[in-house]
Amino acid sequence: MSARGLVTRDLRVAVQGNEILKGIDLTVEPGQVHALMGPNGSGKSTLAFTIAGHPGYDVTSGSVTLDGEELLGLAPDKRARAGVFLSFQYPAAIPGVSVANFLRSARQAVRSGDLSPAKFRQLVFEKLDTLDMDPAFLGRYVNDGFSGGEKKRLEMLQMAIIAPKYAILDETDSGLDVDALQAVGHAATSLRESEDGRNMGFLVITHYPRILRYLPADVVHVMIDGSIAKTGGPDLAERIEREGYDVIREEVATARA
Amino acid sequence: MPSGTAAGPATLIPFAPDAPTLERALAILAQDGSVSPADAVRRREALALFAALPAPGARPRRGWRHDYDKLTFDDLVWTTGRRRQPAVGPSVTDPDDEPDLPALATENAGGLFHLGATLLEPDVPSAADSRVVVLPLGDASRPHPELVARTLYEIADWRADRFSALATAFENCGAFVYVPDGVVVDAPIQLVWANTAARNEAVFPHVLVVLGEGARATVIERHVGDGDPFICGVVEVHAGERAQLDYVTVQQAGEGARVFFRRTARCARDAEVRWNLAELGGALARTVLDTQLGAVGGRAETAALFFTTGFAHVDLTTGTEHVVGPTTSNTAVRSAANDRGQGRYVGNIVIRPHAHGSDATLRDDALLLSAHAHIDAVPALEIASNDVKAFHGATVGSLDEDALFYVSSRGIARSEALRMITLGFFEPVITRFPGEALRDEIRTALDAKIDAATETA
Ligand SMILES: Nc1ncnc2c1ncn2[C@@H]1O[C@H](COP(=O)(O)OP(=O)(O)OP(=O)(O)O)[C@@H](O)[C@H]1O
Ligand SMILES: [Mg+2]
Repeated sequence: MSARGLVTRDLRVAVQGNEILKGIDLTVEPGQVHALMGPNGSGKSTLAFTIAGHPGYDVTSGSVTLDGEELLGLAPDKRARAGVFLSFQYPAAIPGVSVANFLRSARQAVRSGDLSPAKFRQLVFEKLDTLDMDPAFLGRYVNDGFSGGEKKRLEMLQMAIIAPKYAILDETDSGLDVDALQAVGHAATSLRESEDGRNMGFLVITHYPRILRYLPADVVHVMIDGSIAKTGGPDLAERIEREGYDVIREEVATARA
Repeated sequence: MPSGTAAGPATLIPFAPDAPTLERALAILAQDGSVSPADAVRRREALALFAALPAPGARPRRGWRHDYDKLTFDDLVWTTGRRRQPAVGPSVTDPDDEPDLPALATENAGGLFHLGATLLEPDVPSAADSRVVVLPLGDASRPHPELVARTLYEIADWRADRFSALATAFENCGAFVYVPDGVVVDAPIQLVWANTAARNEAVFPHVLVVLGEGARATVIERHVGDGDPFICGVVEVHAGERAQLDYVTVQQAGEGARVFFRRTARCARDAEVRWNLAELGGALARTVLDTQLGAVGGRAETAALFFTTGFAHVDLTTGTEHVVGPTTSNTAVRSAANDRGQGRYVGNIVIRPHAHGSDATLRDDALLLSAHAHIDAVPALEIASNDVKAFHGATVGSLDEDALFYVSSRGIARSEALRMITLGFFEPVITRFPGEALRDEIRTALDAKIDAATETA
């Protein structure tokens, strides 16, 4: 039996022939929060998409397992049902499909109709409240005409309703005002305090330590140029905020030399 | 040939769009006393025109399967719709997958129901509201001589194109709907044509709808059944001052059916006509929706959708003419094609020199679901007046892969995601149809088509 957790081993990924991820080893254990930082273009979203099963990314070697189950080779919907949730950096719009319908379909797909319609409704309204979202959103089309912040709140609403085993938050905190960040933070904390989310593992991709106030990181990784250049504790995030990535780059270069 | 009583069996003749067939048809109509000398003259003229007029529309592109010059009329029969038939006994359509006619009649309490061209007599009144007149067109002149004389063919120009001419020559059924001044009817008035596989008919309906001042109504024209008829009809709508009409067409004819219609409306002052069209059946469907805004305050709303699968072809033309101003029109068309389905949409807006202050919006979006599917969009705006607002936008695209991935990443299987996104694509037009029951019906019908398409994929 392989380890519990969301685990990548020597994960190498190419896009249109270019190697973007150059051997990623990560283990997010149940209940843990891992932060993944790194400069623009370093490959963070590529990792997120690869784990979620985006067809545009070719895995050239390695593995991705979820509590021991190999995810590579599974279609994206099967991975979601296995327990992965990706909060998109740029969520797509689904015109003509109402948020209410979409939430119901998603919950049903992942948890095969475990809630009565009344219980489901109650859950949705609870989570809307946590996220400080107007119930009018339920009648709108998914992400259609949503502001950047509204899209991120909807990602969190979906996460809260699906309550996955592992969530990858790809810059969910980017572009949020203070209130929205707080709402998103509350959604995550209240989910972790709930029965459903107690053992959830998080991979939080971010450029700023501020979201880690709500989701305190157990481990912080820095990705540079498709590799994990450094792994450390929560203080690493603060250090990057102060000093930037160049210091890390230099450290890595010196260590190699 | 025995002439038969009103309830007796009708005479069937093989159909061909030629003079000998028309003469036989006229003889049969004469036995029923339902053709005047003037009618006969018009029918003969119309047939001559059918033969003389060119096929409508631009020349088909290569690979187009709708070459109107190559239409065939084999194995079709023509019969007068003047003999009625009780709508009892076995369902006229397959109860498993098509609406049952008598059931439709009772649920919606009112309308005319045809099997082929033949009028059925279900056990319900044709109009739920006694102030409303719903009659077979052939029966309308007797009780309403002046109204019919004033309106019949007043708008529908049977010389407009060769199929209108053909419909006029061989007209064998139809409806007259009259909603008097100030009468507002809630229940939709249904005009249903069903065709069974038992016999392939050539059906030529003529629908005349007259709304008095301030009248409001919803008319639903339906084509159902698993037969392969040739249906070629004319619809004309007169909307009186401040009248409001929803005219809905749900075309779910059989897979081999060919369905041709020209529907024309004229709006009096402050009148509003809302065309709602769902082309979901048939092998070949050609529809023209024309609206004349000839008086101040007139408004035309057009919401049309079609979905062609298999080898089906849909050819839709909408035309809105702003004769005076201010008048308003809003046209929204959504179409999708799968398999080897083909479609063409031609959207014409004409704003005449005196139509100052008019506002015209036209938007059409097409979705291609397979590499072999094809949809052409041909919008044409002709604006001869300044100080008007005219907007037009068109898109043709395939399914958004990012959206598909997004939906799949929520645990929803790809086929389900595809269905969800495709149905969503039609939603902005579906929401313009009147009544939640009707909207749900359209959604269900589209859903079934997506099912069939994914099964064959
Ligand atoms: N579909 C694609 N086609 C071509 N190049 C791609 C594609 N996807 C990613 N890349 C490239 O891979 C590299 C990593 O991109 P990725 O989106 O993973 O970065 P990121 O770390 O998420 O950056 P950011 O912080 O800006 O979101 C970039 O150089 C990007 O251009
Ligand atoms: Mg990114």
